Amino acid sequence: MIKIKDIEKTYNKTSVETRVLRGVTFSIQRGEYVAIMGASGSGKSTLMNIIGCLDRPTKGQYELDDINVLQQDDDALSALRNRKFGFVFQQFFLLERTTALDNVLLPLIYTNKYPADAIQHARKLLINVGLEDRMEYYANELSGGEQQRVAIARSLINNPDVILADEPTGNLDSGSAAEIVEIFGRLHKEGRTIIVVTHDRDVAGHAQRILELKDGQIKR
Amino acid sequence: MTRVIRIIKESFRMVRNNRLRGFIIILGIAIGVSSLTMTVCVSSGVYKKVMDTVNKQGPDLIQIRPGTDKFSGPAAGSREAVSLTEEDFEAIRQHVGNINAISPVKDRKEIAVKYGDMNTVTRIFGITPIWGPLRDFNASRGSFISEEDISSSARVCLIGQIVKKNLFGDKDPIGQAIQIMDVSFIVKGELESKGVGAEGRDRDDRIIIPITTYTMRLFRDTPLTQIVIKVEDTDKLYKTVDDIYSVLREQHKIASGEPDDFAIRTPQDLIDLAYGTSRSLIKVLTLIAGITLLVAGIVIMNIMLASVSARKSEIGIRRALGARKNDILSQFMIECLLLSLMGGIVGAILGYYGSIIISKMDVAASDLTPLALGAAIVSCCLIAVIFGIYPARKAANQNPVDILRG
Repeated sequence: MIKIKDIEKTYNKTSVETRVLRGVTFSIQRGEYVAIMGASGSGKSTLMNIIGCLDRPTKGQYELDDINVLQQDDDALSALRNRKFGFVFQQFFLLERTTALDNVLLPLIYTNKYPADAIQHARKLLINVGLEDRMEYYANELSGGEQQRVAIARSLINNPDVILADEPTGNLDSGSAAEIVEIFGRLHKEGRTIIVVTHDRDVAGHAQRILELKDGQIKR
Repeated sequence: MTRVIRIIKESFRMVRNNRLRGFIIILGIAIGVSSLTMTVCVSSGVYKKVMDTVNKQGPDLIQIRPGTDKFSGPAAGSREAVSLTEEDFEAIRQHVGNINAISPVKDRKEIAVKYGDMNTVTRIFGITPIWGPLRDFNASRGSFISEEDISSSARVCLIGQIVKKNLFGDKDPIGQAIQIMDVSFIVKGELESKGVGAEGRDRDDRIIIPITTYTMRLFRDTPLTQIVIKVEDTDKLYKTVDDIYSVLREQHKIASGEPDDFAIRTPQDLIDLAYGTSRSLIKVLTLIAGITLLVAGIVIMNIMLASVSARKSEIGIRRALGARKNDILSQFMIECLLLSLMGGIVGAILGYYGSIIISKMDVAASDLTPLALGAAIVSCCLIAVIFGIYPARKAANQNPVDILRG
């Protein structure tokens, strides 16, 4: 479902040209559990942003379910992010002073079809990640592990094709990290496509396949 | 629930979540809108009062007086005081067009009047029957001065409400004899109450008698103190005024370049008089309203810009989760509009009470019109749009990757 070909990304922010990605090619099938690994600065976050339609490559091709992603305009990319992807970030990125439940419902503001059972659905997702007694808590009142579980519930609200997780355990203690990894395993068994960007071998070990990035290229 | 409604709901939620920001914006707008509301209330109140005065005294009325003061006329006995004569009246009547009605008037103030033991001092007017409809001064009881009264120089009079109160109290004055400067007059009617005129003179404190009686019985060979003219066509009023100037200057043999020895009062003069100091007050208020609205706008822009920087991660999160640039723009604009509207409502209420205080302090009249509320709503919306669009666009154009990278 994801076909990436010869992707290059060059930053010109300073006077020095930085080539972060230098011709990356791979594809990911529906239902796969893939880990993208690499040292910091290897370009793995940039690659994840490109897959998640948050950023555009300088060169290359990207097909997502036969959609030529790089020809889409900004609004269409927003719609793709909303419909196709569920994002889980290292820093959780929940809205403060907003309840867990409202955070989970957030992506539904920007869908074209608002489901009638949205709130029940959101509650069910929070129950599935073990937060049935935290639904009305504000995000800033929750622990890191709880926040990340809210983020996972949020990533699932739109029933996306792909869960994209960028260092999901990076800010968590080992216990919470294990819980998150366990949830990803469960979601994979339910048939979801999961892409985890990490530098942690233990986390990557749960994936079916590991793509290792080094110096902007995939190491085979 | 459509996307627009969801975004509006979200904007409401974010307004509730950012109370301090909201308070400052509401305060800024409220100050601006209250001064605008006050300006509109005071302007329309003053305008209404001015128009009332003009309509009461006649929008089609011209008054000619001897001397150079349009309102009070010269002091009795001065050289200027004798400049308006019966011949002038005849000349105007014959040579000036567009006249619907014209009446000569003689009047003198501080005349002693007696009824039995009761004394008062008032102003005596010698007039013709047409003066009544001309000045819209009618008999509320009894009958007005008639043509027979004029031709027979009858010793009859009508008394104003103040004179009635001073001389008769609660008694019926009609048919009673009063002494004006020791000449006996029969009261044939009462004048309707008119209140205080534009000059600040009480228009109920007067007695009117036939002009012929005035000349023959009270003050022999006195000149006219006024000529009152009602024009036929109000649009040509100023042409008529010009005609009167030429006729009178010719009558008085005033060489060109020499000043007039008479004054002509038009409705415009009345408007000027009725505005008085209110006009400069309105100017000052308008200036204050303009400045405070501008300041309110700058406050909004600052607070919104600060808010955009403070809420960078929120914007990034929303964009990552599928918000389009327009969704972010709409959200920030709606938040801004909401706060401005609240400020507008608070400002309209404050402005309304402020204008009531102004009118209570007797500085200027005030009137709450739908216009004031409309101006409040429109101005706060305009400010929100004008000063909110830049921060909102800035929010919408943030690159989500840059924001999320922190």
